[in-house]
Amino acid sequence: MDDRTRTVAGIASGLQGLKYDDKRLAELAAELQVLNDAVREAATRYLAFDDEPAAFASLMAREAK
Amino acid sequence: MSARDLALQDLSTVADAIASGKTTSVAATEACLDRIETWQPKTNAFLRLNGEKALERARALDKEIAAGQRRSALHGVPMAHKDMYYRKGELSTGGSAIRRDWQAPTTATVLQRLDAAGVVELGFLNMAEFAAGPTGHNVHHGHCRNPWDATRITGGSSSGSGASVAARMVYGALGSDTGGSIRLPAAACGVVGMKATYGRVSRAGALARSWSLDHVGPLTRTARDNARVLAVIAGHDPDDSTTSEKPVPDYERLLQGGVSGLKIGLALPEALVPIDAQVGAAVQAAADALGNQGAKISTAKIPDFTALYRAAEVIVKSEAAAMHRPWMEANEPYANQVRTRMEAGFFIPATQYIDALRLRAHFVREFLGTAMTDVDAVLLPAIPFPIPTIAETDVEASGGPATLAMVARFTGLTRPFNTLGIPALSLPCGFDSNGAPIGLQLIGRPFDEAMLYRISHAYQGATDHHLKVPA
Repeated sequence: MDDRTRTVAGIASGLQGLKYDDKRLAELAAELQVLNDAVREAATRYLAFDDEPAAFASLMAREAK
Repeated sequence: MSARDLALQDLSTVADAIASGKTTSVAATEACLDRIETWQPKTNAFLRLNGEKALERARALDKEIAAGQRRSALHGVPMAHKDMYYRKGELSTGGSAIRRDWQAPTTATVLQRLDAAGVVELGFLNMAEFAAGPTGHNVHHGHCRNPWDATRITGGSSSGSGASVAARMVYGALGSDTGGSIRLPAAACGVVGMKATYGRVSRAGALARSWSLDHVGPLTRTARDNARVLAVIAGHDPDDSTTSEKPVPDYERLLQGGVSGLKIGLALPEALVPIDAQVGAAVQAAADALGNQGAKISTAKIPDFTALYRAAEVIVKSEAAAMHRPWMEANEPYANQVRTRMEAGFFIPATQYIDALRLRAHFVREFLGTAMTDVDAVLLPAIPFPIPTIAETDVEASGGPATLAMVARFTGLTRPFNTLGIPALSLPCGFDSNGAPIGLQLIGRPFDEAMLYRISHAYQGATDHHLKVPA
């Protein structure tokens, strides 16, 4: 089991109370790596300190036709 | 007019005929029930049919017309809805086994509005379990089948909505769309499906897939019909704080502008997803048809959707895992392909989820500033490949990674517009070599549904794809 799979296994059993076999833990670790990397990189590149989730609704209202 | 002929009319024609006394709501309801008797065994589109109740309601609505009272432009029209819109005291399965016997404690705002408008409710329609699945597979209630070819998928998750409208069992249906679930079945079944702007239609009383990305909307045979239904269900709702207070336009009146002088950006984004030659040719032909009517067609520049798509997955999985946690912990019976898509949500850090939500505004600015600079709408495929068979897309026994790959293949050009929250409409634009429909998408600026209807109406005025009926 690699580091990232061990991390997922630890969260599953230690924090979430969930049980998965090693194969499924490895699949989840691979899926999570892709998702988290993409969001983390985009956040680093595009987000500023003052950006908040509610800016989406404000922008939609401002751009409304 | 025979029952068959009446069933083949579109919603607006039938509604106007009811209003003028040329036909009745009872006759329209009976025509639909006749179609259902023939097509339900072939499609499995309905989960519950309430024929007697519908006829009783139709008789009452006819009496109102006779007394000179017309509630709305939908008065007397039979519809049915995806089985996730709650009606107080009645079953609402969400396409699941878990809620097979569950009764809703409230009535969805959109159903209340359709009731007030005088719509006849024929029943509730098949759907992917908990609105999670782009194909129409359902291991609990049976797969929904495409009326054009029963071996092929309907698209999902609003599978019954697409199939029932295409087979002329109903004049219109509500669906919902979190990653393409209105537009995919609309495209696969050859009907019109609108995912309006986030906040345009209330989600109150609709089973949630992902609160931040869910959109409620209609599937119909024509753009005019769709505009008519959206006008009734759209608008602010105190029970859904994300709805906009912006007034709802008269979409039907705004249909008539034509496309002369409009600027439409055509996108066949091969760099983002492989686009089948037949699909590309059909979408190009649609652009040409609009160009022939005076629209100015240019090439749209579509930004890379990769991060945006991943952000959507983070949002959906996090929200779905939170709401399904009690049932998942209790090992309640989910289809494998539904459960495996949610499991990652238990492991996504809260910071990533929040960042995915924070990124939405950036993605909207980026899309409006590139693809929609100086155009009124963007035109692109809905499903970028010919409609596959049910067997070809059955991943129930294949495990998590196969499910993720299948979902990504279907939703590559639809899910981004849920993250962006901007209006997206799917419209039939031809048929593939298997005889299954091909759908295009029109994308608009926030709250500019009227523009998408206007373009669609002009297109349908010059083409006949929407008039073809499954045999």
